[in-house]
Amino acid sequence: MSFLSFCQWLSQTPLSIWLRDAPYPYPVLLIVHVISIALFGGTVVIGNLRVLGKTMRSVPVSQVIGQFRAWKWVAFAILLVTGTLVAMSDPMEYYDNIMFWISLGVLLVAGLNAAIFRYGIYRSVSAWDEAAVAPASARRWAGVSLFLWIALIFAGRATAFF
Amino acid sequence: MLLAQVILQGLPEAIPVNPIARWVWVFPVVESIHICGFTLLVGTVTILDLRLLGLCFRQQSISQVAKNLAPWTNTGILIQLITGAYLFSGDAGEYVQVAAFRSKMLLLLLALIFHFTVIRKATAAAQDSAPLGWRMPAAVVSLGLWVSVLLAGLWIGNL
Repeated sequence: MSFLSFCQWLSQTPLSIWLRDAPYPYPVLLIVHVISIALFGGTVVIGNLRVLGKTMRSVPVSQVIGQFRAWKWVAFAILLVTGTLVAMSDPMEYYDNIMFWISLGVLLVAGLNAAIFRYGIYRSVSAWDEAAVAPASARRWAGVSLFLWIALIFAGRATAFF
Repeated sequence: MLLAQVILQGLPEAIPVNPIARWVWVFPVVESIHICGFTLLVGTVTILDLRLLGLCFRQQSISQVAKNLAPWTNTGILIQLITGAYLFSGDAGEYVQVAAFRSKMLLLLLALIFHFTVIRKATAAAQDSAPLGWRMPAAVVSLGLWVSVLLAGLWIGNL
């Protein structure tokens, strides 16, 4: 089965039809998605700004990141579920939307970037945990991370425009 | 009436001078900046409210968390006021008549007043050694106000 026919099949499933045609699912998904953006984005931004030495300089880096870990994962899980359901509400529409695929690409790169930080430079965090400003390699990660998440907001908004 | 209409909406045949009314792509671009701004604003406010509820940064004093977050919350407010005013300028005459827009402005005013009075007092250094007490419900009210501003914003977009 090709991906196109998969999308065609998906758009005819009862769940997809319900998400598309019932009055409440879409606005509820949108509201939950946007609130989660604020929670996820807020914790990501403050974590990155701490690495850059722009906030909470007297609090160890691992403590700032550790405080947010649970909140961040909860918000991210909600974003993934609500985002997937929105995509499922109209698979054929998103199949044809170039900005939707660009958004997913940016999300993938942002995720890879976070993983490279987590399993790379962050493993030596004990050496620079107390430093007001993290080493240049960690700061570079944080800068790229901020850029990618902002790019995802632009690409996500543009998905609705195209 | 006609004069008022001309002032609010411009002459019918005129090409709009304001970029946001002239090119369709300006609106989503400015709106994207507006979304980044609310993420910064509501995100940092939420972290402070969670701290007031004792749900994060328990080892740091409330006033220390507040002091560290304040410049970023204020940056968020500034971005929102500028981008929001510009989005508004694209179709001002229309927006002022919409219930969702009026509700949002009222809720925003309440949220800002609450933030710079009650929350400022709740996060003052003088309060650090006092029990949380009234500051926990205040944090819940703050969260509720900012989320309702956000909901009213979505409501405008869905009309």
